[in-house]
This record gives sequence, C-alpha cells and structure tokens, in this order.
Amino acid sequence: MGSKRGRSVIAATFIFFSMSCLNSISTTQVGTSMLDSDTFCISDQYIMQSYFTTQSSLNESEFRNFLRLQQCSENIPYEKDVPAVATLQHREVTGEGSHRHLLTTIKLLRQSHLHELVIVERLPLGVFADPFELQSLQQRRAFSDVSVFGDTDLEQPSFRSNRSVVEIHVEINGNGEISVKLPLHARYQPIGESGYSRVEFGEPDLFLCSRHVPDQEHEQRRCLVLSVGRSKTQTRSVVWEIPAGIRSHTEYVSVVTFVAAVLSAFSILVASVLSSKVESCKNTKEL
Amino acid sequence: MSRGSEKPDESPKWMSFRTLLVSSMLLRVFLIIYGEWQDAHMEVRYTDIDYTVFSDAASLMASGESPYKRTTYRYSPLLALLLVPNSIFHRSWGKFIFSASDLLVGLFIREILKLRKVSEKVCTVSVMVWLLNPFTFTIGTRGNCEPIVCAMLLWIIISLMKGNLSQAAFWYGLVVHFRVYPIIYALPIILVLDSKLFRSGHKPPLEDWNTHTSSTEKKTFHLKSLFSRERIMFGLISGGVFLACNAVSFYFYGHEFLHEALLYHLTRTDPRHNFSIYFYHIYLHYERQFSAVEKLISFLPQFTVQLALVFSFSKDLVFCMFLQTVAFVAFNKVITAQYFVWFYCLLPLILPWSRMKLKWEGLLCIILWIGAQTHWLLWGYMLEFKGVNVFLQLWMASLVFLAANTFVLVKIIQRHRFSPLFGQYVSSDGKNVKKLD
Repeated sequence: MGSKRGRSVIAATFIFFSMSCLNSISTTQVGTSMLDSDTFCISDQYIMQSYFTTQSSLNESEFRNFLRLQQCSENIPYEKDVPAVATLQHREVTGEGSHRHLLTTIKLLRQSHLHELVIVERLPLGVFADPFELQSLQQRRAFSDVSVFGDTDLEQPSFRSNRSVVEIHVEINGNGEISVKLPLHARYQPIGESGYSRVEFGEPDLFLCSRHVPDQEHEQRRCLVLSVGRSKTQTRSVVWEIPAGIRSHTEYVSVVTFVAAVLSAFSILVASVLSSKVESCKNTKEL
Repeated sequence: MSRGSEKPDESPKWMSFRTLLVSSMLLRVFLIIYGEWQDAHMEVRYTDIDYTVFSDAASLMASGESPYKRTTYRYSPLLALLLVPNSIFHRSWGKFIFSASDLLVGLFIREILKLRKVSEKVCTVSVMVWLLNPFTFTIGTRGNCEPIVCAMLLWIIISLMKGNLSQAAFWYGLVVHFRVYPIIYALPIILVLDSKLFRSGHKPPLEDWNTHTSSTEKKTFHLKSLFSRERIMFGLISGGVFLACNAVSFYFYGHEFLHEALLYHLTRTDPRHNFSIYFYHIYLHYERQFSAVEKLISFLPQFTVQLALVFSFSKDLVFCMFLQTVAFVAFNKVITAQYFVWFYCLLPLILPWSRMKLKWEGLLCIILWIGAQTHWLLWGYMLEFKGVNVFLQLWMASLVFLAANTFVLVKIIQRHRFSPLFGQYVSSDGKNVKKLD
C-alpha cells in the first residue's frame, strides 16, 4: 500500500515536473519554433500584409510568433518534398551617398514545386525604400511583386520613424541564382559625436511559396521557410555609414545663424530707410 | 529717353514680340514632348516628382476619393481638380496648363509695362528675361505649378492698374488660398489703395515710365483714411473668397485638408538640407522641440524686414512686392529652388526703372547670386551623392547665399528709380498737385 502510494506520489511529482518542464520548453520553443524547413500558409498576397495589424515592432521574436500563427488549413495539399536549400551567396550595399542599392544574391541548390521566392527585408532603422520607386521597378519586371509595409513616411528623420519592411517576390525557374537589387535611401540620422551613423543590415528572411493566383478568393498558399532571422553573414556584416549631424556644433551654429540673420535684416533695413529718405529729399528739392 | 510715340517702323518690333512668344511656345511644347521621352527611356526622370504627386492626387479625386490620400500632396484641392484631365486625356495635360500659364505671365508682363508706357524695346527685353530664362521654361515643362500663381499675381496687378478692385480682390483671395505666401502682399496692396490715388470703378492714373517726378503727397496719416471704402471692400472680398474656398475644401476633405494644405506650410520645419541658413540649426535641435520664444526670435528678422520694405516702398507697389518676395524667400526656414520663380516673374516688371547697367553691376549681381547657389549645390552634391559629412560646410554655403541675396537686394534698392504705381489725381483745389506730363 505504502509503496503504491509512494509510486503515485512519485508519478504525480514526475508528471508535475515534466509538465512544468514542458511549459518552459514550449516557451523557449515559441522563440525558436519557426525553424528552417517549416511550412506555413498565407491567405493574403503578401506574407507581411497583416503583420502590423497584430504586431508593432519588427524584432526577431515577434516576427517568428507571427509566422507561427499562420497555420495551414487541413485541405491544403502538402507534397512531401525534399526541402529546398538555399544559400545566401552575396550581400552588399552598392553605390555612394544617400541613395544606394542593397544587392542580394541567392542560390537555390535544389528544385522545388514552389516557384516563388519571397524575400522579406526587415530594414534597419535609418534607411527606407520608396514605394513609388519600387512600383515603377515592378512595372519594369525587375520583380514579380513588391510591397513596403510599416513606416513609409519618406520625410521623417530616423529617430522619429519606426522600421519598415520590404517584401519582394521573384519568380524562379529551375535551381538558379537570383539576384535582387533593392534601391534604398538614407533617412536623416540622429545627431552624434562622430559625424557618421552606422547602419547594419542583417540577412533577409527567405521563403519559398507557391505561385500567387490572382483573383482567387480565399486561396491559401503554402510557404516554406528557407531562413529566418539570421543576423549577420558569416564573412562580414553589411554596413552603411550615413552622415549625421555633430552634437558639438549645436551651440555655435545657432548663434552664428541668428547673428547672420540679424546682420542681413539690418543691412536691408538701413538700405530701405536711406533710400526712402533720399527720395523724400529729392521731392522737397523739386518743390 | 524719348516717349514711345508710334514710329512708322514700329511694326518690326511688335513682330519681334510675337516671334518671341511663338518661339517660346514652341520651345515649351518641345520640352514637354522631350520630357515624356526622357521619362520613358532614361534612369533620371525629366518630370518633377511633385507632378507625379499632383497627378496621383488628381486621379484619386477623379475616382471620388480625397486627394490627400496621396502622401506629400500639400496643395489646394483646386490644383487636383485642374489636373483631373490628366487621367482622362493624357498625363501631360497639367504640363500644358502650367506652360500656358508661363506664357500668359509673359503676356501680362508686357501688358503691365505697356500700361505704364514703357518703350517697345525695353518692354521686349524685359519679357525676354522671363520667357527665355532657362529656369522658367524648365519649371513649367517639368510639371511645377508655380507659373499659375505667378499668372494670378500679375493679373491682380493688372486689375489694380485698371481700377477693377473687385476682380483684384477676388483673385487675391484665391491666390492666397492656393499658395499661402502671397499673404505678404496684403499690407502693401491695402496701403496703395489710398483713396486720393485710387477710386473704385475709375481707371487710376498711372505713373508713366517717363515721368521723373514723384508724388508729393505728404506722409500725414489720417486714421479715417485707413478705413477707406476701397480698402474695406478689398479686405472683405478677398477675405470672403479665401474663407469660402477653404470652407468648401474643408467640407469635402475635412481635417486632412486643413493640416496638409494650410497648417503644414505655416509650421513647416524641414531638417533636411536646403538653401536656408536655418536648416542645420533645425536639424541639430530636431530631437527637442523649439520653445515659443525661440520660434519668435527666429521669426523676428523676417518680420522686421517685411515691415521695413512695406513702409518704405509700398507706393511703388510692384517694386515693393519684388523686394518682399526676395526677402521672404531668403529669410524663410526652408528654401527650395522653385520658390525663386516667385520673384523671377516680378523682376521684369522692375527692370525698366533700374539704373543698374548690365555691365558691370548687373553682371556682378547675377554672377554673385548664381555663384553662391552653385557653391551650395556643390556641397549638397558631396553630402547627398558622395555621402561625405559636410553639414558644416553646407551650412556655411547657406550663409554665403544669404549674404549674396542681401547684397543683390541692397544694390537693387540703391539703383532703383522710385516710381509710385498710381499718380496723383488732378484735384480741383490745385493744392499739392504735380502735373503729370
């Protein structure tokens, strides 16, 4: 009897502990649940389309949570496939000045029945993509689909705006190399000490989705996760140095600006008054 | 200088104005067509980004939505309304309208100068300063709406010169609704509507170009005359038109209209680099807001200069408007190149009265002003297209540009032959009357 009770106590304790362990495992799993080669389904045209209705920032865990929530309904066929593998071959920021291009080259090593490569660029704070420019690129067939989500205010400086996301869809045929050139623009950076602000780019999130069929109501498309949330490339991180105002300039810039305005205003004032005095002298002389 | 009596060989000169007008028109048509080609075939577009904004807003309006759904559309709904045919006929409709306004400005310049009996040769040269100015013909053909504002302003001047007070007031109310800046002309216009010089319904006597004597009216100020019938009428009609336009726009588009079209322009502080001396100051302080005192202090130079110019020169209305516009742009918190058109259209109207010779004073002014701009643009290029931190140098280039503006303004004031717009009425009592010959 005693041993029976003892065994049930031990069993209960064991169950209790394992449940609490499972709980803790599942909370960490929430953070890492979206592994490469997992699949999910979307019913919108873009993966990020409904992101900002439920989330407010673009950090890692929120993004993974969001993907995890995109469940597939039962009737979506899933062909057991050899999962596609892709490697990020090349990534750099080309160009000079405030308007540059983010060049990404992806190599697909295996064929898949999913024919649309989706690149989700979660842009760092400090740069933005112009939706209208991207539209015209789409019209020139550079991408099959492109959209910008999040903060697309083109005029706000960096510390006033939130991040934005660019989602690019590219058709793939076979297992080739895809090269994507995304035009980006620098925002005005927060002022600092060094005169430059460092903006670092992580890796894009890559997915393979089935082709979007337009005008089909409630279609669900299956997407395969190729890679999510890798922060740095193996070789070196991609960095863009953007000029920023220098804090130590603040005092004397304000003073000199004001003095210049006053001096200018004063000269014009004097010239006007003198000129009208001359005119009235002339008039009295002519009388 | 002899008075412009019609000489037998005058007709070739008239034809040269016609030739000028026709060739300007052909040039603009060519540029619009070329612009379409460049947009389709080259990386850098000819068309201004603003034109795309107007067109998008117009097509939104055509489909019954608010034009303010288009980000960065910050104009009156009237502009979108004007461009609705862009989506019906052809996307260049707006450019043709703007270039037509541009040509209309040329015609108005000639009309104004002719009303003041400026000689044909001087007239044609002045019109050329507008029609053949490269800045002018590119601005309309690239799709910028400023020529419409210029045309409206010149029409207001013509109406005043012909004594059509209500017409002038109507267009003034409309132009202030369209673009807020012409509000700076309110005070000089009111001041010039002195009942001794201007009576509604009558054609006011204009001071000719050849008249070298100025009005001898004493500068005594009667409070009663401040509220003359003409001034009150002008104020009421223009104020009424302004409020009516805003009310209708507000009725259709609500708070979006108020914020984007009106309040934005009044409170605009853009930290991005531009010609203004204030841009770096605004950028460095952007993280914290400016206090009301600071805003007032930075507004003081602008305010003082405007008042000084108005009280010194209001009788010579066109000259006053020109000076005010140059000063307004120079002291503004944000200066973009399109603002220069605001005074380019008034420049031909004051040239006949300037004692400045092209050689060498005129040329010096032109070189200094363009030189200061080019200097700024070089630093701007370094910052924006080479990514080098040259904020300090760029800001200093803005200071140099302000200095150039001040220099040119002072020189123009010094060399101007003051000439009031309205001459003295010949009054019956014979006192204080100078004969106009």
